[in-house]
Amino acid sequence: MTTVDGRHKLDREAERLAYKPPEVRHDKQGDMDSNERIDKAMWNFLKNFNTQTASYLDGCLHCGMCADACHFHVRTDDPQYTPIWKIELFKRTYKRNVGPFAFFYRLLGLKRKVTIEDLEEWQHLIYDSCTVCGRCSLVCPMGIDIAGLVSMARHGMFKAGLIPHELHEVAKRAAETGTPLGITPDKFEDRVDWMADEHDVEIPMDVDKADVLAVMSSIEIQKYPQSIAATAKILNAAGESWTFRTDGFEATNFGLLSGNPEWQKTASMKLIDAAVKIGAKTLVLPECGHAYMALRWMGANMYGKPLPFKVLHISEYLADALNTGKITVKKVDKSVTYHDPCQVSRRGGATQAARDVIRHLGVDFREMEYGGDYNWCCGGGGGVVTITRADPLRHRVFKLKMDQVESTEADELLSSCANCRQSFDDCQEHFGWDYTMGSLMEMVAENLEEGQS
Amino acid sequence: MDLLEFARGPALQWAAYILVAGSIWRIVGILLLKEKSDFSEPRKRAGLGSALKVVYTRSFTAPPFAKATMYPKMMAYVQHVGLFAVVFLFVPHIMFFKGFLGFEWPGLPNSVIYVFGVAAVVASLALLIRRVTSPVLRLISNFDDYFSGFVAILPIATGLLIPVRLGIRYEDLLAIHILSVVLFMIWLPFGKLGHVFLVFITRGTTGIAFERRGAKT
Amino acid sequence: MKKTPTVGEILQAKGVSRRGFLKYCATTASILALPPSMIPRIAEAIENARRPSVIWLSFQECTGCTESLTRSASPTVEGLIFDAISLDYHHTLQAAAGDQAEAARHAAMEENDGSYLVLVDGSIPLANPGYSTIAGISNVDMLKETVAGAAAVVSIGSCAAFGGIPGADPNPTGAVSVMDIVTDKPVVNVPGCPPIPMVMTAVLTQFLTFGTLPDLDKHGRPMAFYGKTIHDRCYRRPFYEQGRFAETFDDEGAKAGWCLYKLGCKGPITYNACATTKWNSGTSFPIESGHPCLGCSEPNFWDKGGFYEPLSTGKFDSGERLAGAAAAGVALGVAAAAAGRRKQSKFAKEG
Repeated sequence: MTTVDGRHKLDREAERLAYKPPEVRHDKQGDMDSNERIDKAMWNFLKNFNTQTASYLDGCLHCGMCADACHFHVRTDDPQYTPIWKIELFKRTYKRNVGPFAFFYRLLGLKRKVTIEDLEEWQHLIYDSCTVCGRCSLVCPMGIDIAGLVSMARHGMFKAGLIPHELHEVAKRAAETGTPLGITPDKFEDRVDWMADEHDVEIPMDVDKADVLAVMSSIEIQKYPQSIAATAKILNAAGESWTFRTDGFEATNFGLLSGNPEWQKTASMKLIDAAVKIGAKTLVLPECGHAYMALRWMGANMYGKPLPFKVLHISEYLADALNTGKITVKKVDKSVTYHDPCQVSRRGGATQAARDVIRHLGVDFREMEYGGDYNWCCGGGGGVVTITRADPLRHRVFKLKMDQVESTEADELLSSCANCRQSFDDCQEHFGWDYTMGSLMEMVAENLEEGQS
Repeated sequence: MDLLEFARGPALQWAAYILVAGSIWRIVGILLLKEKSDFSEPRKRAGLGSALKVVYTRSFTAPPFAKATMYPKMMAYVQHVGLFAVVFLFVPHIMFFKGFLGFEWPGLPNSVIYVFGVAAVVASLALLIRRVTSPVLRLISNFDDYFSGFVAILPIATGLLIPVRLGIRYEDLLAIHILSVVLFMIWLPFGKLGHVFLVFITRGTTGIAFERRGAKT
Repeated sequence: MKKTPTVGEILQAKGVSRRGFLKYCATTASILALPPSMIPRIAEAIENARRPSVIWLSFQECTGCTESLTRSASPTVEGLIFDAISLDYHHTLQAAAGDQAEAARHAAMEENDGSYLVLVDGSIPLANPGYSTIAGISNVDMLKETVAGAAAVVSIGSCAAFGGIPGADPNPTGAVSVMDIVTDKPVVNVPGCPPIPMVMTAVLTQFLTFGTLPDLDKHGRPMAFYGKTIHDRCYRRPFYEQGRFAETFDDEGAKAGWCLYKLGCKGPITYNACATTKWNSGTSFPIESGHPCLGCSEPNFWDKGGFYEPLSTGKFDSGERLAGAAAAGVALGVAAAAAGRRKQSKFAKEG
């Protein structure tokens, strides 16, 4: 039995020194009680269920192949990033409530009810570790569109007030002001004037009637404003009757990214109404991935009927214009590799357009291994680049892109999505990487043949 | 009524009723949910042809994913091909089908069937081992996965026991084998074995939705 | 009472040589799976055996079993052995009739009380005992009366052993087997429709030699003859394994002697000695003659699926019930989808 050392009294009252694990952020919005959150989460997910989505949740074989396609799982080996696992809570709830055997699942208690702890834990699976890139959907032997199901899960999470803060704030701002990053119509007009001046190019604004409505994404307006000038140069060279509109210029759609269909509709309707107002035959979307998905493939359903105009991604517009000779470009003597934005190529079906443009540019084109439709995602889409707590994870998965790009040994790296560009820029800084992503549209604009206005 | 008579008679009959009723219940319950109309301008016309195309093409893994998924994919193929050969190309089974279909088709020699059967059982066991050792599968697997695997292996295993005999009487082994098929038939509509008919809906709807966009399937 | 001659004396009188007799004993030992050392014991036992008293009762039968056992183109040793037993009562073979016949039966029962064998062929009707009577006595009464003092009972043929064709669906006479009625005496079943003669005499020989009955399987049949299936001893088995089947009775496969599984052979579930012992002194057996095995030594073989339906055919009933199941599935599916949709719209409204 040792005697107490009187020099160092044992202070039983002081706070103990101990390792505190970092607090996991479980963002919450609103002040609903847990049960209400659970209810809202589940039913907003199930609300729009149809044969296709129901068959997906009924048909999963738990084969695990989706994990091998997902960059988040591949780079971390963490089984919780298995794509279909991200849907697990919702799969359970579907079987309990809407599936063909729902009555018996409930009667015999065959599936556990979802708890608030479950939902909190799942927040980061559904938002931080999914870019809705769709590689999982391509590998699934049952053909389940897992990425699409994650989007639907976000509908539930949003209404339950369980989405990451940053995403919520940005989406809210977009819904309230019409734009997520504070680019009001006035600010937009200012930037357009500045670009028109700086690059010596005519940029029509708020014209009453035009064939083409052009729109921009906030990321470009804010971070890559030269895109405004490039767009204008191209449309002018093509001799289009076109305009920007201050009442419909924001191509991004944070309602889609955060999971709020009403806000998604609001954003889309602004563009649609503007196009209808000016009698546009074509709406040209900027270099943005989810903007294409939101308007080209989901816009008409928001509108409730077929759109009275064509919707083209700028790369598609360029491919058309170059293929028909509306514009011509000088040959560019460089080797180039191309990063396909997930929502435009794989999910959107416009993979070939970029390649047509690249062909016309006459570069030494080096496809990445498994580029095109099977491209690795940049890791920043689906709103992930907005979520700061997801940065470490996003940086981790970026290694796949660096390897993929570097093995082409190309001079230039191009893409056609400003969000990818933002993600690449951020990672370039983080890793000190020597590739800077360039814009396909800007390369065309810079190399337009003389004699076009 | 001895065990064999029970197995071949009432057991098999009721299993058939449950198989038919349960499968139709599940399919109709899914098909009759809301219709989703799509007003977006399609890049390509996509109808039944697209659905069937993807039902076929999704049987093959795209090259970028092939290496990572090679092992489970190969094992699953051995299991499915083995099962197909055993069920549809073994003459006594062909006679079973002839009993209610009214027509028959040529079979394979028994020894070949035994090879397929053993391969199918080995592949099934390999997949089961993978399921309990892979971190991904350990996380996502549930009762349905294990039970369905068990229910699927049992008929092949009991069928292989018949030539092997192990000192048990033929008619008893035949009865056990038929009862294992009865269990399979009863469970099929309700668990993941239902992918037998669901695969057409999942792959088909994806085919239509994505071909419409001109997107990769 | 007249001293009856021994079996050995009778055989000698009939001109059977010692050599021929010993050959028979050797064959019998072999069939009963007994070692060669047993042969002298069998010989001694048979030689010195007093002709055991055998009472043969024929009930609802076709007389095929008797025909099988007693028909022979030329006298065989088996036939003579049979002559050598004291067959004190047998409808088809006995000379006496009427009261005299019944008196003979009763006399045999009294004189040999406790030591006579009762052999039965044909099933016993219970629905109405009047369906089958002999001398005004119902089968069931005669059976019970006769076996009371018997040493053992042997059911000859599938009718006596299991109920046979009278017992087949719908069994209008309520036919049952001997073992359904006799529960306090040892019963040996020698089924077959008809059984193989050699099997019958082997059972008798065992009884004569050892005073015991052979090892029986779960259906009361001697293991020595009913221990293996036809399938496991069939000479056409290699064709089964190779997948070579006769499709019809006169196609090339049939002519080439291929497996008869597709034509309905029940060999795999039939336990009998046909494939090895064969019929007519080893001449042939049904499969060898090109006809699929009927499974005639198995209980209820008449109701085990058609003779020409392959063994693996299921016994499905009409398609109506199946259509009913399909309809039930549709109804349940509609209900489930309706319930799901209602819940969806309910939430869409209330939020």
